[in-house]
Amino acid sequence: MKLKGGYNILLAGRPGSTVEVLPEPEVLYLPLRTKRFDFGDICVKDGQHVELGEVLAKDAANFSIPLLSPRAGVVRLNAAEGHIVLEDITKYQKQPKTEQANVPHVEHGSGTVRSKIEKMVSLGAWEFFCDAYDGNVPDPDEKPQAVIVSTVSLEPFLSRGDAQLKNRLLKFTRGLEHLQSLLEYQPMYLVMPQVRSSFASKVKDHLRGYAWVKLIEVRSKYPYDNFNILARRLKLKKDGGPVWCIKTEGVLATDRALTRSSPCLARILSIGGPEAKNPVHVKGVTGYPIKTILDKYANDDNVRVICGGMLTGQTCGEGALGIDSECRGLTLMPEHTEREFLGFVRPGFDRSSYAPCFLSALRLKHRESFSTAMRGEGRPCVSCNFCEEVCPAGIMPHLLHKYLYKDLIEEADEARIDLCVRCGLCSFVCPSKIELTKQFIEAQDLIEKEKEEARLDAIRQEKKRMEEARRKEAQEKGQEEEY
Amino acid sequence: MKFLFNIFQSVRPGFEEGGRLRAFKPLYEAMENFFFAPGSKAMIAPFARDPLDIKRFMTMVIIALVPALAISFYFFGLRLIAMIMVSYIAGGAVEVAFAIIRKEDINEGFLVTGMLFPMILPPTLPLWMVGVGVAFGVFVGKELFGGTGRNVFNPAIVGRCFLALAYPAAMSGNWVTAGQGMTGRMLEWASAGNVDSVSGATPLVLAKQGQLVNVVDMFIGSISGSIGETSAIAIILGGVFLLLTRVANWRTVVSTLGASFVLAAVFHYNDPERFAPALWHLCAGGLLFGAFFMATDPVTSPITNAGKWMYGIIIGVVTMLIRNFTGYVEGVMFAILLGNIMAPILDEIVFKIRIGRLKSEG
Repeated sequence: MKLKGGYNILLAGRPGSTVEVLPEPEVLYLPLRTKRFDFGDICVKDGQHVELGEVLAKDAANFSIPLLSPRAGVVRLNAAEGHIVLEDITKYQKQPKTEQANVPHVEHGSGTVRSKIEKMVSLGAWEFFCDAYDGNVPDPDEKPQAVIVSTVSLEPFLSRGDAQLKNRLLKFTRGLEHLQSLLEYQPMYLVMPQVRSSFASKVKDHLRGYAWVKLIEVRSKYPYDNFNILARRLKLKKDGGPVWCIKTEGVLATDRALTRSSPCLARILSIGGPEAKNPVHVKGVTGYPIKTILDKYANDDNVRVICGGMLTGQTCGEGALGIDSECRGLTLMPEHTEREFLGFVRPGFDRSSYAPCFLSALRLKHRESFSTAMRGEGRPCVSCNFCEEVCPAGIMPHLLHKYLYKDLIEEADEARIDLCVRCGLCSFVCPSKIELTKQFIEAQDLIEKEKEEARLDAIRQEKKRMEEARRKEAQEKGQEEEY
Repeated sequence: MKFLFNIFQSVRPGFEEGGRLRAFKPLYEAMENFFFAPGSKAMIAPFARDPLDIKRFMTMVIIALVPALAISFYFFGLRLIAMIMVSYIAGGAVEVAFAIIRKEDINEGFLVTGMLFPMILPPTLPLWMVGVGVAFGVFVGKELFGGTGRNVFNPAIVGRCFLALAYPAAMSGNWVTAGQGMTGRMLEWASAGNVDSVSGATPLVLAKQGQLVNVVDMFIGSISGSIGETSAIAIILGGVFLLLTRVANWRTVVSTLGASFVLAAVFHYNDPERFAPALWHLCAGGLLFGAFFMATDPVTSPITNAGKWMYGIIIGVVTMLIRNFTGYVEGVMFAILLGNIMAPILDEIVFKIRIGRLKSEG
């Protein structure tokens, strides 16, 4: 499939595909807030003993997505701000269950679609689903217009499909069968990277004969794995209903929930970035203490920990103690400290830049140890057009910036600011260091809010009008009756 | 460099809020960030940024000018250095004054204007005129519009246009014949008073009188003309470097040179007696310099690719029309100014079409 724009940032510290198992934790810190969820509905009491897989809290606004207890232990509610703390884990640790009999394929006709989805929600598999357009959790009751499954992960750095699929291919294909059993006639697309490797051909071999899976290959260029862009390119209309989007871990979780009926607790995270000692994938659980990970994997104390990738992730601040339930990887960036003498005239043999303005352009592709530096001062836009060249959504970031600078929200809306997928590339390449992505996110939210308000207003007025009409009718009727 | 950094840190309080020199804070910041890369950090995603900044971006233009500078130093001598210095000082003063009044940072765009401006002037121009010209160009061409990034016209061209209209004699009368031999004019001070070095006319003037200068001479640059524009080879060398670094866009250059080449060829084919050959036109005057260094200014040229093609064609066509059918001998300056006026309109047209196409999506 052909897509426009995009750019691969060559950040040092790409995680290898080996998966290490993290040592068993003593305490778990489960964050109550993640990027999409707010587990405000707490279901346990302070000091209560919980079993493995028990519901600790729920997100009432998001179809009661549960926060499951990844281990047996004792709950502490007030030990850390914004977290549920799970203590005494080692005390309650059980012997791992013996492996169940291998089920190669899905038995059809077992349970209705509704009951299956309910099972997935309660076992923590549904939280891996998102809608292509708004990125939120899709409504379990609504039928999708299509399903997109993606094994591609291009942002530096998130846990990749090849690391997750090693030794789990059978589970993956079975998960796809499960997903198919949730659908009626809707298409299912499987997005794979356009690479020639023995592993890729192995995956394709496994999928041979799955005629209901439409295979799509995309070039390995960030952000071609973005669901919004893929859905647009597949001509799935926004008002045609939700588009379920699932990454590799979501398919594996579906398989676990529907084949084994067991909760999805362990996940494979990537630990990468210039400050990672040994960039790898690790198997861990929600709430795993970040400090323990840093002690083992970070080079240095002066490190910025980013939950997620470098382009769209969030800083794990002082308050964040454990891995949240949505985190797919930690990116460790060196904090910027040193101010280079005459930095801008240096040859820059080690700098990897979008425009070939450094000596590194003469050298083969290499990965740069980016730090958190802005690398320059904020300046007015000089119309270099780099932002438009990298934009995968086909919009004009420089024009939108000029509109937003003048507070012309309506014009920005006309110029389709809603198509922005928040990939962060425009902010990255901008030589004037303008925070384009941030401006667009704010404007999108503002427009969304205004449209929602206008919609509610229209409904309110419609109601009022109807009520008035009814009252009038009743009055007239009353008058008639009087006669 | 700890030593220099410490000096900066020790004088910093004077420029901070409440300090005695707080009005000059933009100047201080510019100096500090010139010597030491800024310490600011990316606090929101993306958490790393591209190493390219505006300083580097503008430095690339200066580097691209080095071949033309070196060769014109050989041909026209010491005076060139004095003119560049005057240009930087006078233009810099206007830039700094406006930064202080606006309480904004000093923009690096000036580094390029200050260098480009003397290169498009005759080598004998009195130094005070250089100063007046650049000050006018920066003030009217840039600051009145709100500074770098908001200007409609290329400031260097505005300055030159002002000088050409205000002092036509000085701007077109005294040309210097290019230096020869081992040292060229590298050790000479070739001014208007220096009789033996002052010649009559540039190739374009001679062409009006029916005299065609050899193309090879124009290619090397051993002809009279404005400082930076004589040597085609040096300009192409620097220009191609600029295109490779992607600071200048190839579309503008190709369309400008292509349009003027085609039009000149058509004229020459129809009446070889009256019109000079296309290749001659390409190397003559400021066409190459204008196409590579002036028209490609990202701020004053259209931002859209389709706009750039149209913009280049306008500049190329207008240049040829002025050169061949009007009383003026050279038309690049007016053509680029006209192109600058058209740029926002061209962009607006392309934006309209693209937004219309986007609307039907999703």
